[in-house]
Amino acid sequence: MRILLVEDERSLAKEIHDFLQSEHHVLDEVSTKKAASENLAVNSYDFVLLDLGLPDGDGLDLLKEVNRYQENASVIILTARTEVGDKLLGFESGADDYLSKPFSLLELKARMQAILRRKSGWKKDMIQLAGFEIHLNEPLISFEGQEIKLTKKEYILLQFMLINKNRVLNRFQLAEHLWGDHLDDDYQSNYIDVHVKNIRKKLGAFGPVDWLETVRGLGYKVIA
Amino acid sequence: MKLFHKLLVFNLLGKGIFLLVFLMLSPYLLSQLIIDNTDEELLAKKEEVVKLIQKAGIENFISNENPEQGFGSYNILKEEYILLQAVPADFEIAEEISSEKRIIEEEEISYRVVADVIEIAGSRYLLEIGRSLNTIEKIEALFFQIAMGILFLFLAFSFLLDSAISKRIMAPFNKIIQSKISRINEPQEFHDKSIQSTTKEFELLDNAISEMMKRIQRSFNQERIFISHASHELKTPISVLQSKLEAIFRDENLNSYQSEKLMDMQDTLQKMKKSVNALLLISKVNNAQFLKSETVDLKMVVEGVVEDWAEIAEEKGLQLRIGEIDPFTYSDTNLSLCQMMLQNALSNAVKYVETGGVISLSGTKSGDRYEVVIENDGAGIDDTLIEQVKNGLVFLKDVSKEKSGFGLQIMYKVALFLGVALEIGSQNGKTRVCFSFPVKV
Repeated sequence: MRILLVEDERSLAKEIHDFLQSEHHVLDEVSTKKAASENLAVNSYDFVLLDLGLPDGDGLDLLKEVNRYQENASVIILTARTEVGDKLLGFESGADDYLSKPFSLLELKARMQAILRRKSGWKKDMIQLAGFEIHLNEPLISFEGQEIKLTKKEYILLQFMLINKNRVLNRFQLAEHLWGDHLDDDYQSNYIDVHVKNIRKKLGAFGPVDWLETVRGLGYKVIA
Repeated sequence: MKLFHKLLVFNLLGKGIFLLVFLMLSPYLLSQLIIDNTDEELLAKKEEVVKLIQKAGIENFISNENPEQGFGSYNILKEEYILLQAVPADFEIAEEISSEKRIIEEEEISYRVVADVIEIAGSRYLLEIGRSLNTIEKIEALFFQIAMGILFLFLAFSFLLDSAISKRIMAPFNKIIQSKISRINEPQEFHDKSIQSTTKEFELLDNAISEMMKRIQRSFNQERIFISHASHELKTPISVLQSKLEAIFRDENLNSYQSEKLMDMQDTLQKMKKSVNALLLISKVNNAQFLKSETVDLKMVVEGVVEDWAEIAEEKGLQLRIGEIDPFTYSDTNLSLCQMMLQNALSNAVKYVETGGVISLSGTKSGDRYEVVIENDGAGIDDTLIEQVKNGLVFLKDVSKEKSGFGLQIMYKVALFLGVALEIGSQNGKTRVCFSFPVKV
């Protein structure tokens, strides 16, 4: 996919750039509104990752240009701003998602995939793994046609791990995906373990779950 | 009590007191007035009678043959009488008016009597003219009734008039209170528009409130901008650090020592991130930066929170007892804050109750409130400390559990912002957290 990254914080832009490149995406990276306008007018993008606080103006203004030049592009706003008005204005102006800084790059990846799934059509997106069928667009998991009951949180957790398969996810990343920004202090270390344990227990009743690995001292990984 | 009603009651009371005083004094005053008037009439009649005697001659009243037999006359109802009788030359009385009793046809009647000695043709006569006090009392009663009628009519009329006038005079005041205070839940909702009034004091009040609200609004806006900038300045470097750490984690050649150190760094970064988020959240709630435009199905929220925590509680060996949860919708609120508030309460209970403990949860409607109650048999928090947290004076930092202590304060701030009364108390080894939602009509 071709992605335009509009971010004036060079260090952060570099990390996002490296991460998305490692995910085999083609990235154009700009740090000003003017440069972003030029790129939007000339190139065709699948995604625009847009920071709002740019040195030469408000990133929200760029959304109009995205709508004008990039009909098929999806926009994710990346911002450290906290005002509700910005968020609403962003959605009203056509943004597809809104990711508050600081965010995990894996969370960014999950959001991008969710947008792609949403745009490409529902229901068909399903991962098959060791006899399990995990639907990515609805809270449904089954084993050889038998539906397995998971709680909402367990399902979200499993889905996040599947999207980031073959990658170690530490408890902080998992907790952040589950609870967002405003979580309480210390539950991530213990309670993610409880959720994973329950997922294993519930799925284990149907088939082997050795594809869900614990990486000692770090977190969890889905091998697929 | 509304000022308008107060004014009406005070006006009515003032007039009522006036009426009461009049009621108490009026018998005496009326009686005095009528007696004075009667006395004047009796004196005038005496002059008239004297003139009549002088004109007609005394012999038409007292015969020369029997001068000792006086003249007496009274009307048919004995309301008035006249008496003329010869008296010796040395008989002296000054003209006097008094209330006396007279027997007429064996009937004793009280009269107001004017008596004087008159001299006609060298002879002296005692002249007495009397008017029945019964008549005077009847006139008195009649006057009293008329006065009372007029007074009551006056009272009723003046009440209606006061009510209409007060309403009109108070209209700008009510408008000021409603549009500039009562209906303003957050400073952002205030719009400066003068309320028209011809009353100087109301104009001053309107201006003073507008100025005050504008100052609060300015201060809120400044704080909002500050929070936005602070948020950007704090979160961007954290974001950079986080992404750099994640980049290092992606390196598959890391040894366990490096991984461990990186996890420590991420742990610290995570704590910093949470503290920044918590502080910004508290500031944002204080600054009313969340929209309250959603209608929340509280039963669903409570059940969702329970679903999230039930298995964690079970894993810890706690009994989570779910009581009755009545359906209830809470309007003009914020769903995520509502969830956060209830979740904080339940997660705290799960954290602090020892294994084998019991947590019970219920949501019931009680009068004009809907109460979500979370009770547990864990160690409670001292009331004084809770009061300090409530007032934003302290954070309940728990070093042993590596807790920053923002949770309780966030719960209080959010509850206040959402208009939910929050009570936390510990009694008989039980801690009770009660969220009391007003039932909006």
